[in-house]
Amino acid sequence: MRDYFLRRLLLIPPTFIGVTLLVFAITRFVPGGPLERAIMEARTSETRRGGDMGRSSTSEEQLADLKAYYGLDKPIPVAYVQWLGKVVRCDLGTSHRFNEPVRDLITQRLPVSLVYGGITLALTYGVCIPLGIAKAIRHRTGFDNATSALIFFGYAVPGYALGAILIVFLAARAEWFPMSGFVGENFSDLSIWGKVVDLAHHAVLPLVCYAITSFAFLTMLMKNQLMDNLAADFVRTAVAKGVSFKTAVLRHALRNSLIPLATHLGASLTVFVGGSYLIEFIFDINGMGLLGVQSIFDRDYPSVMGVLVVSSLVLLTGNVISDMLIALIDPRVRFK
Amino acid sequence: MKFSLNPITAKKLRRFRQIRRGFVSFTILAVLIGLSLIAEVLVNSRALIVRFEGKWYFPTYGAIIPGRTFGLDYDYATNFRELQARLEKEPERGWVLMPPVPYDPIENCYPGEFFRPRAPSFAERHFLGTDQLNRDVLARVVYGFRNALIFAGCYIVLTYLIGVSLGCSMGYFGGRLDLFGQRLIEIWSQVPFFFVVIIVASIVSGLGGMNLGWLLGVVVLFSWTSITWYMRSVTYKEKARDYVHAAEVIGAGNTRIIFSHVLPNVISTLVTFAPFSVAAAISALTALDFLGYGLPPPTPSWGELLRQGTSNLSAPWIVASAFGALMLVLVLVTFIGEAVREAFDPKKFTIYR
Repeated sequence: MRDYFLRRLLLIPPTFIGVTLLVFAITRFVPGGPLERAIMEARTSETRRGGDMGRSSTSEEQLADLKAYYGLDKPIPVAYVQWLGKVVRCDLGTSHRFNEPVRDLITQRLPVSLVYGGITLALTYGVCIPLGIAKAIRHRTGFDNATSALIFFGYAVPGYALGAILIVFLAARAEWFPMSGFVGENFSDLSIWGKVVDLAHHAVLPLVCYAITSFAFLTMLMKNQLMDNLAADFVRTAVAKGVSFKTAVLRHALRNSLIPLATHLGASLTVFVGGSYLIEFIFDINGMGLLGVQSIFDRDYPSVMGVLVVSSLVLLTGNVISDMLIALIDPRVRFK
Repeated sequence: MKFSLNPITAKKLRRFRQIRRGFVSFTILAVLIGLSLIAEVLVNSRALIVRFEGKWYFPTYGAIIPGRTFGLDYDYATNFRELQARLEKEPERGWVLMPPVPYDPIENCYPGEFFRPRAPSFAERHFLGTDQLNRDVLARVVYGFRNALIFAGCYIVLTYLIGVSLGCSMGYFGGRLDLFGQRLIEIWSQVPFFFVVIIVASIVSGLGGMNLGWLLGVVVLFSWTSITWYMRSVTYKEKARDYVHAAEVIGAGNTRIIFSHVLPNVISTLVTFAPFSVAAAISALTALDFLGYGLPPPTPSWGELLRQGTSNLSAPWIVASAFGALMLVLVLVTFIGEAVREAFDPKKFTIYR
């Protein structure tokens, strides 16, 4: 067991290096990267100052300076090792677009994603467990079928597509909810209660989209697990010896059924931090996901790498944590 | 080899047919796929039949017919809607039969005013309206569906090909290949899938070379692991069973054992994954198109329509059509997937009343 987790933990660094090296190398081959963009800007400003249009106005020297500024003057392995060395010291470089340290950009946006991730997690687990229990007990009744239809819909439809339609119909046309953003423009002027209401008002649509996929998945998991356990001999024995049905479900069957749900907790961690790129993009929520997508749009590669570092670290530790949770909760599980 | 279903497969098929929701969904999806294959006949700017001065023309498939053929004053492809309007005035020269939706997915039906999305209208036969470049939304939905299907089909073939060949050899031969493959998959499956896919797709798009092949390559590159892992563990289990040993004893070689004994037992379970793979492929394609890193414009796609819908708030028909189509197909696929799973692995539950 200990060896297993040691091995898992030891696998984190090579995986991390593999992922980042891959993306780092790819981002080096891009046309229209920061260097070309800077040269273009230099040229247009030159032209505006009345420079000669025909001649290339960027000298070799300037080019070398620019290359050094963007770290493109070194071969990929050297540049990567330098970058990695900085990452170890918590320095993710400077964003080309915002001209700010990437670390600051990420620490500004992380709380937003954390709030949404946390609420989503609490909501889904808070609703899924009771709903799953109710569905399992009332298997194949009207209630079960009606909620199943809703759940299949949620399972099938991607969150961002739902976001697109909600934002057009409920936010833009019906004007029930604000279109975008984390808080309103006059947020700082509001009273505490007003702030809470404002936050909640902005959060309804994104939360629906965040929650919908994992919600469907978790409810079905809960239901199926509980039904498996209800059919098991130990529950039948409990009922036979006179335990009330309620106790049999809640005390005997439910506890066993919760194990797989707990394991899903680790996987949910990724949504926590990475957010959902597309949902944050649609609702213009200034979290990690939006930062990631926008920096890809702008070819702001230090920020892309920064988001990649954080999201892959979270994914890696999340997976190890979920395995540890299984081992903690279920004493029968033995990893080799 | 005579084609006959083995009794277990026949039983599974029968069970699948009994699950009504899944079977109905399957029928509907099959019809939709069939219709999408003959989409040119239903949604097209070319006429189905033209009768002109005593001659028959069938312009739907085949080379373009220049306008001069029909006495028009240009040599480029005939605009059949104009021709139809013209011949209606002089019915003695002939007539034109247009498809139910007489528009192409990539033609701008410029109405003589500035470009803006126009609302659905039966009179103009824009049944779902037009998008911001005045292209017919229904045509784009239909051809977008076909593109999504082609993508999903190729995606399944590729991932399963990699998964089955690599996974089976890992599970069957074991040894160093298995060890190396396991570590590789362990590392590869920890890549933040979506983020890395958009990074790579954005770069390929930036190089200007995005097409179906590249897009498939990018998505498959990061999604072959789960099927491979599954195939490995299943083959590994099968290999330890008696029939494999028996085959070894009678002197069967590796190739024969793998292809005629192990694979038939293993591969049928892959069917249960197929619907979910289709759903995953369509979602991935739509998401990439939504961000603008999918198939290059003007290729019709649902993701591009969704994106247009979110930026044209006064034209809700765009987003509604794309979302409706996406939802319909994904829900059907999910129903089929659930039914297939149920047919392969029926669960009998005890229910307390």
